[in-house]
Amino acid sequence: MSTKITSMNRRQFLVSSAVVAGGLSLQLHSGDTRAGHHLGAQLSPWLQIYPDDRIIVTVPTPEIGNGATTQHAMNIAEELECDWDQVELAYADYREELRSPGSFAVGSIPFFSGHGTDHDRMFYALQLGASARERLKSAAAIRWACAVAEVRVENSVLIHDASGRRLRYGEVAADAAAIQLSEEPAIKTQAQWTRLGKLSPSKLQAVQVVRGTATFGLDVQRPGMVYAALKQSPVHGGQVVSFDADAVRAMPGVRAVFTLDPNDTPGSPVPVQSTFGLADTRLRSAVVVVADHYWQAKKALDALPVTWDNGLGAFWRDNALLQERQEQVLQREGGAVLTRAGAQQFPEKGQQVEAIYHTPFCEHATLEPLNGTALYRDDDLSVWHPAQDLAQAFWVAVDESGLQPEQVRVHQTLVGGGFGRRSMSEDLRVVVAVARQYPGVPVKVIWSREETTQQGAYRTAISGRYRAALGDDGMPAALHAEACFSGLQLNLGFTDMPYAAAGTIPSLRLSVSELPTHIVTGAYRAPCFNSHAFMVETFIDECAVAAGQDPVDYRLRLLGDWSPAWSQCLRVAAEKIGWDTPVPAGHGRGIAISNWPYSGSPDAGATTCVAVEVSVSDDDVLTIHRIECAFDCGRVVNRNAVEAQLEGGLIFGLNMTLNEGLTLRDGAIEETNFHQLPMLTLKDIPPMTIHWEALSGHDRFAIIGEAPVGSIGPAVGNAIFQATGRRLRSTPFLRQGLTLAQS
Amino acid sequence: MEQLRFVLNGEEQQLEVDSETPLLWVLRDHLGATGTKYGCGIAQCGACTVHLNGRAVRSCAVPASAVQDANVVTIEGLSSDGSHPLQTLWVEMNVGQCGYCQAGVLMAAADLLQRIPEPTREDIDREISNICRCGSYPRIRAAVLAAAGAS
Repeated sequence: MSTKITSMNRRQFLVSSAVVAGGLSLQLHSGDTRAGHHLGAQLSPWLQIYPDDRIIVTVPTPEIGNGATTQHAMNIAEELECDWDQVELAYADYREELRSPGSFAVGSIPFFSGHGTDHDRMFYALQLGASARERLKSAAAIRWACAVAEVRVENSVLIHDASGRRLRYGEVAADAAAIQLSEEPAIKTQAQWTRLGKLSPSKLQAVQVVRGTATFGLDVQRPGMVYAALKQSPVHGGQVVSFDADAVRAMPGVRAVFTLDPNDTPGSPVPVQSTFGLADTRLRSAVVVVADHYWQAKKALDALPVTWDNGLGAFWRDNALLQERQEQVLQREGGAVLTRAGAQQFPEKGQQVEAIYHTPFCEHATLEPLNGTALYRDDDLSVWHPAQDLAQAFWVAVDESGLQPEQVRVHQTLVGGGFGRRSMSEDLRVVVAVARQYPGVPVKVIWSREETTQQGAYRTAISGRYRAALGDDGMPAALHAEACFSGLQLNLGFTDMPYAAAGTIPSLRLSVSELPTHIVTGAYRAPCFNSHAFMVETFIDECAVAAGQDPVDYRLRLLGDWSPAWSQCLRVAAEKIGWDTPVPAGHGRGIAISNWPYSGSPDAGATTCVAVEVSVSDDDVLTIHRIECAFDCGRVVNRNAVEAQLEGGLIFGLNMTLNEGLTLRDGAIEETNFHQLPMLTLKDIPPMTIHWEALSGHDRFAIIGEAPVGSIGPAVGNAIFQATGRRLRSTPFLRQGLTLAQS
Repeated sequence: MEQLRFVLNGEEQQLEVDSETPLLWVLRDHLGATGTKYGCGIAQCGACTVHLNGRAVRSCAVPASAVQDANVVTIEGLSSDGSHPLQTLWVEMNVGQCGYCQAGVLMAAADLLQRIPEPTREDIDREISNICRCGSYPRIRAAVLAAAGAS
């Protein structure tokens, strides 16, 4: 049985109920009537309530650490008014989506966890909770022969106040499945919420994490499992020419030695519906050793003689060559102009400000190395994997197995750090390819840290050339800039920069160009935005300095009355750092503001403004004394989670700015492990405070994990300039003569 | 291969293993104790931290031969029921994000509290050098300080 609902965005969906395991199961279905959509033919339970009161919430997203899965359950619990201690999570099986399109993807595409508060997803979760609650109340009313209005609920208990009777949810769950509502209940207004915005429970996985029982991808155990170690072409795009398996075959535990060939991918037998397409998920030519234990596999791999053809990538001999070629592209001024206003000829009049900026390739360095476990047999494939996107993972598995979709099962595990690295699932393709060559037993494939580092899908390397002509008032009369991308290109925070959107600069010309290399790139926490924010916010600072104006006032004037919320973020951060108070000798203060993912809209996305105070000693030791962060994401459903994402994002962005930058050496990445990938640890973390005063209350719950990654770096750079007069136009800062003071 | 005997979380273990195999992989692959994590293999990140005869060590850099007859405690044995003060504080204060590094951090913190029952912020920063890529450091610091205050 089912009831039609029309959602806020006017797409129809259906709620249906059924008895499962003696309890209530609720499903969502899209109103979509595509062929093959058999409502209720297969169960795709979003929410189940068992007779023992346990509540299972099915999540279509992974958990990468931001608590999105817990938040999804919280959203349901707000309306269900259930006992939170009874709530458990289960991952969606993507095959249900295939059997019954719209089962999980109704406004809820299985996308990485950044979307726990996604507008559509929240609505569906709230509706499910309310629909389940009303069914339970109706079932209780029938049991008690009373009006539904006389039944109230509290913490998974149904209560009839007049008679004092009570029933637990589990006791009427099966009855509730048979209830046919004439219409689905309206959800609460935000003002009626009792949990959202008020409670911040621990993540549902927290207890397992602290006891060591949580299952990340690397922790999967299967009966009879063997282990594989691999080495892919050190120069991306290169190939195995030859290898001497006989040299290692007799080593302890070794079972098989073979290669992976990108040309061997069988391909999906049906059209794929992957989230990001499959073009960027090709195998990399590799040698693989399978052994009884991982240590044995790794030792044999290290001893395996391999000859590589490095291919064309070896041309890129070092970082200087890449930078030089990017600058040549920029000097040609031939990029595609994506934002333009006013005169397109750069004015000769007025004070000229010009700068070229560089940001390098960076490695995500998720603390859980890349891995996965797969069991391939003639007619089925099972994979256990820490994917960042369930739909992408599924279709990559289908494509690399050549099996029919119904023969493929991908089991989601906890994800030991994502940051975008695990969104394409090209790592899962490797796991399937290995299992296909070693069928019949489960194989756990582990990238060593060295392999994880050298076979990344890195942050795009970007150079930017920025020019401004200042008017008599010191404000930019013209701002022309071009960004040259080596890798994944996203323009967020550049072509839609707020200073363009605000309309206060008469002549604008923002263009983009590309310099492709062989290096594989991909999404890296706030992709490309994390470079654009550094360049834009450093350049605006340079303009303010050139104009002899205060950097905070300058930004406020540039933004004009475009967005009171942005201006408020600037004012709060400035006030917290004591912007208008005297700066101690040798110290400097800097500020920067940016928004993910809607820099060009005054009331959208998450704006963060970061103010910092630093000092630099005579021997170039940098001390970051304080970090103050103001932000506006509209509204907040989980204060503690928002603070965690802001803290973590600031630290991630700080590490990116101070420490991160990979080194090209004849086409390969030189760094291998953490001794060459410096990471901030406790001793490096300055005092930081998240300030709530700029939160606007605008009706949105914008995602918050990416935004702070953009504004922290330029704030530190601008502060270093104020302290020293030295302008840092590339990252990482700590490879430019500075060292970081330790607490 | 050699016969290896040691005590893991109070239980005696006996197995045959290549004496060079790092304790990390003995725990994970041979004994199925996957709470101890692999992060780098070169004692840089601390994800594999365990207690060897009462002191925190990075198990990826300890060969099996070095734990002969030793007493090893991993995250699974920090308490029998998750009730170590650090474990409860970690949950209450929502310290972890992805959680992958936290077993190692907890073992390092537990060792610190044994040696320095009331550590200062400086003690914590100096003694716990584990890498957390999610940036949970402010909460790690706050939780260890809270544990010190509670003890």
